[in-house]
Amino acid sequence: MQLAIASGKGGVGKSTVTASLLYLLKDEYRLIAVDADADAPNLDLLLGVERWEEERELIGAKVARINTESCVRCGICQERCPYDCIKVVDGDYVVSELTCEGCNVCGLVCPVPGTITLEEVRSGVVRKTTTRYGFPLISAQLDVGRPNSGKLVTEEKEWAKKLMGELGLEHMIVDSAAGIGCQVIASLGGADVAILVAEPTPASLSDVQRAYRVVQHFRQPAYLIINKADFNPGFTALREWAESEGIPILGEIPYDRAIPESMSMLKPFVEAFPDSKAADAMREIAERVREEILR
Amino acid sequence: MQIAVSGGKGGTGKSTVAINLAIALREHYDLVLADLDVEAPNDHLLLGVELANEEPVEMFMPRFDYQKCTRCRKCAEVCEEHAIITMRDGTPFLMPNLCSGCGACEIVCPVRGAILPGKKLMGHTYFTETPYGFPLVTGRLLEGEERAMPIVTMAKKRARALEKELLMVDTAAGTSNTVSKALEDSGLIIAVTEPTPLGIHDGELILRLAKLMEVPAMVVVNRSDLGDVARVREIAEKYGAEVIAEIPYSESIIRSYVDGKPIVLTDYPEAGLFKEIASKVVEFLGGGE
Repeated sequence: MQLAIASGKGGVGKSTVTASLLYLLKDEYRLIAVDADADAPNLDLLLGVERWEEERELIGAKVARINTESCVRCGICQERCPYDCIKVVDGDYVVSELTCEGCNVCGLVCPVPGTITLEEVRSGVVRKTTTRYGFPLISAQLDVGRPNSGKLVTEEKEWAKKLMGELGLEHMIVDSAAGIGCQVIASLGGADVAILVAEPTPASLSDVQRAYRVVQHFRQPAYLIINKADFNPGFTALREWAESEGIPILGEIPYDRAIPESMSMLKPFVEAFPDSKAADAMREIAERVREEILR
Repeated sequence: MQIAVSGGKGGTGKSTVAINLAIALREHYDLVLADLDVEAPNDHLLLGVELANEEPVEMFMPRFDYQKCTRCRKCAEVCEEHAIITMRDGTPFLMPNLCSGCGACEIVCPVRGAILPGKKLMGHTYFTETPYGFPLVTGRLLEGEERAMPIVTMAKKRARALEKELLMVDTAAGTSNTVSKALEDSGLIIAVTEPTPLGIHDGELILRLAKLMEVPAMVVVNRSDLGDVARVREIAEKYGAEVIAEIPYSESIIRSYVDGKPIVLTDYPEAGLFKEIASKVVEFLGGGE
């Protein structure tokens, strides 16, 4: 089974919940973890990963380059770039490599053949390790300023599926990025179940509603975990929304300083502080994941 | 003049810093705030306003005239997003969710009129007056759409068209090219991070991006009592960025955040921290009143 964890808003506890869930399920199931937040991968830190066993460079991002020698300075490329990525610097037309989407429109409209070329560049790395808990982790790191991080996620999942076959693993747990764009769509695509994480604030509610609409595109069953559940007493809109949509709430994790402290220890909080209130709540959530999702 | 609030990791307090800083800077500059976190825009919620003056962001989308199409497959070959698939006989089909609206297919099509300019709604931009003396421009990607870049580009254009003395942008999490698009043309990047290993890791990525873009950066450490600030300082120093503020974990900030009442306007001691950030920024930018 493939389970994806998403939230819309960043920093509400996706990776924290994922790391602890992996820790609580690892003895019973043969798992593989995928960190699909290639922009800001953090799951390895929460699982105390110190080294990668294998690292693959991903060449595939494309950026346009303008040869200033043959450029006739007609400006058509700048006019036609759909994303305003071409600037004039000291009289030369230059493509901003850190914003180029690699669509090649500039190359197609340029009247001087060979002046604008689309070149392949490294988009990042995909890497694999075995965590100290015994299950493998696939993670990716996008190079700064590169497009198409959804492709990196697809690459990660393909590697994970291959390993599942080779090692006879049962469940893939995917920790997605913040937002609702290509990375998140690539994370949710192919998942059997989505677990949404939100905190009781208007911002998190607004963002998780958007993430849920993406989940609905894929017609996946969704569940909700409420993090920092007691941090905004009186805010009932999140629970009401989940009820009105028929999204089961797997559990509520109270705000607990044990969580940021466990991050500094580079451990899942259920391992670092098993007696904390947050750990109690997390164990109940894991129990429901066993019973209702993994069965 | 343009400045940006960014941070790498999600949920570090970018929007909280952005809206409070905008309010504090309003005394010094005629400004507009642009929320370019188009996948998860929240500045309006923190400012307690409802998005207004919606405009669609429509991008080009090919429509095929199958009477004229010669099945040459050139459109499918040129599409870098692989949004056009072809049947065995070369008949092209569009997968609309993958199309980023660049128009390359129309450019290469050898038959006039075989690809017609259709339109595809990818999201919206908004222009909202706030009670704080500056407007907010927001970009919002439509759910299910993959490419944030067109929305970031159009929202930024809309904010720029206001020709304010200062454009302040609030970016998404991460360091991909949509974040660099938001950061582009900034004279200063304020990186908001938290002192956990996660915040430090992602904060370093944004400082690296700032350096590549040759934009000076300053660091704000949020929830500064929940980790290792010394380590943040080391990283900041490595990239030549000054740590300009440390904001401790604060119930009052959370309260103001969830109530949509900016903390900088309250009498809580935390208000002073945001005013200090503002004076550092004014000092750096110069000008203003």
